[in-house]
Amino acid sequence: MNNRFFIEVDCARQNKHGQGAPGDVFLSQRDPDEGRIVCVLADGLGSGIKANVLATLTATMALKYVRSDMDICKAAGVIMSTLPVCSRRKIGYSTFTIADIHPDGRIRMMEYDNPPAVLLEGPTVLPLEKKSMEIQTAHLGPRPLFYSNFRAGQETRLVLFSDGLSQAGMGRPKTPLGWTAEKAVLFLREQIRRLPNISARQLCRAAVTEALRQDCLEAQDDISCAVIYFRRPRRLLVVTGPPIDSRKDPLLAARVAEFDGRKVICGGTTANLIARELGRTVQVDLSFLDPEIPPVSMLEGVDLVTEGTLTMSKTAQLLEQNQEPDLSRPNAAVRLMNILLESDQIEFVVGTKINEAHQDPNLPVELDIRRNLIRRIVWLLNEKYMKQASIEFV
Amino acid sequence: MKPLTITICTGTTCYVMGSGYLLSLQEQIESACSRPIEIVGSSCLGLCKDGQYGCAPFVQIGSTVIAEATPEKIIETLKQQTARNPMEQI
Repeated sequence: MNNRFFIEVDCARQNKHGQGAPGDVFLSQRDPDEGRIVCVLADGLGSGIKANVLATLTATMALKYVRSDMDICKAAGVIMSTLPVCSRRKIGYSTFTIADIHPDGRIRMMEYDNPPAVLLEGPTVLPLEKKSMEIQTAHLGPRPLFYSNFRAGQETRLVLFSDGLSQAGMGRPKTPLGWTAEKAVLFLREQIRRLPNISARQLCRAAVTEALRQDCLEAQDDISCAVIYFRRPRRLLVVTGPPIDSRKDPLLAARVAEFDGRKVICGGTTANLIARELGRTVQVDLSFLDPEIPPVSMLEGVDLVTEGTLTMSKTAQLLEQNQEPDLSRPNAAVRLMNILLESDQIEFVVGTKINEAHQDPNLPVELDIRRNLIRRIVWLLNEKYMKQASIEFV
Repeated sequence: MKPLTITICTGTTCYVMGSGYLLSLQEQIESACSRPIEIVGSSCLGLCKDGQYGCAPFVQIGSTVIAEATPEKIIETLKQQTARNPMEQI
């Protein structure tokens, strides 16, 4: 696990207007042992299902080839020759950008026909030296592929986007040539200047929303933007459940008080015991009521206090369904999801004391065993959202 | 008249059994018992543990615990307490 910086990866996407399936595909995978991350953005020929098949095949193959350290030019040739051929256009084609990221910030990047990737240090664009190589394709003859090798430092962002973003608004009176890659980069720089710590998640969403605005809210092509952000890790401590041995209560409270980062407590009993140990009080905030999820509480020095099982079950469900927290009702589960996604290194401290109140067979099945629930959330955060989450039972 | 504090448990069991609904009934309870009240949420009151107090959801008015609380039970208790101590916060 790399502690010097954390690499946050996120991608925002908008389907072409009227299409149910995306023609751009972004895949990323973190190797849990090495910490190496491989990301691929592929844009398939055309739009809809056909483009989706081409892009998915390209991205999946590229990911596998790069992870197995196969020669990239050879791999690109194989991908191009393997893709199914469009019956109308008589070619099988998909663009791609592959970033092979080492946990210390070294990056190998291969770009084929996508708009050039941009490396930003804060709001400044860093020049990238790209070497042109030739790959053989079955239908289009030899084509150029750009290879670059560089190192990203603290507070740098690598931004990949599809031509749907740079060409958004094309043909409209104000933007006859589209938004253009230059203006898109200016937009990204402005966002970073305004919010220097903007997360990868927020930045890629902002860029896609702006591109969609250029397209007058009807995307002319699939729009994708992926951001890979190298930054100081944002730490989060989530405490849930009282320790099995009540003599450990003061230790748990001290850990909460001394933690360097944001803190969340899930569970009324846990919140009460920490408040008692720290000589503070818990106050329930009734300003927002939700029919499903109990309200949040306030405790001095803690960023979020929620109820336990119901809230965490709902958060797990939201994480599974890839829900957008900014667009959901701001109940406790959504706020918990938001704070989890806005963190990088997440430590769950799980008390294993059995809650007698939940042993009644008449209660709904949502009252899952806490340990299983947390395991599910941690798995989702690590596998699906590329976080570094860990569990400790007390 | 000083508002009367009604504490509603928002712990897991109580919420599942309907305390969330009770939290939103400030106006209805107030007009039914014709005196000002203040609804306050509480994290788990710990009353559901041993069955001594009955079943969730729990509501506390002063030292009185209402088990399996419903709006009717809350109004009933308020009326009884107001009849006993008409001018005081209980």
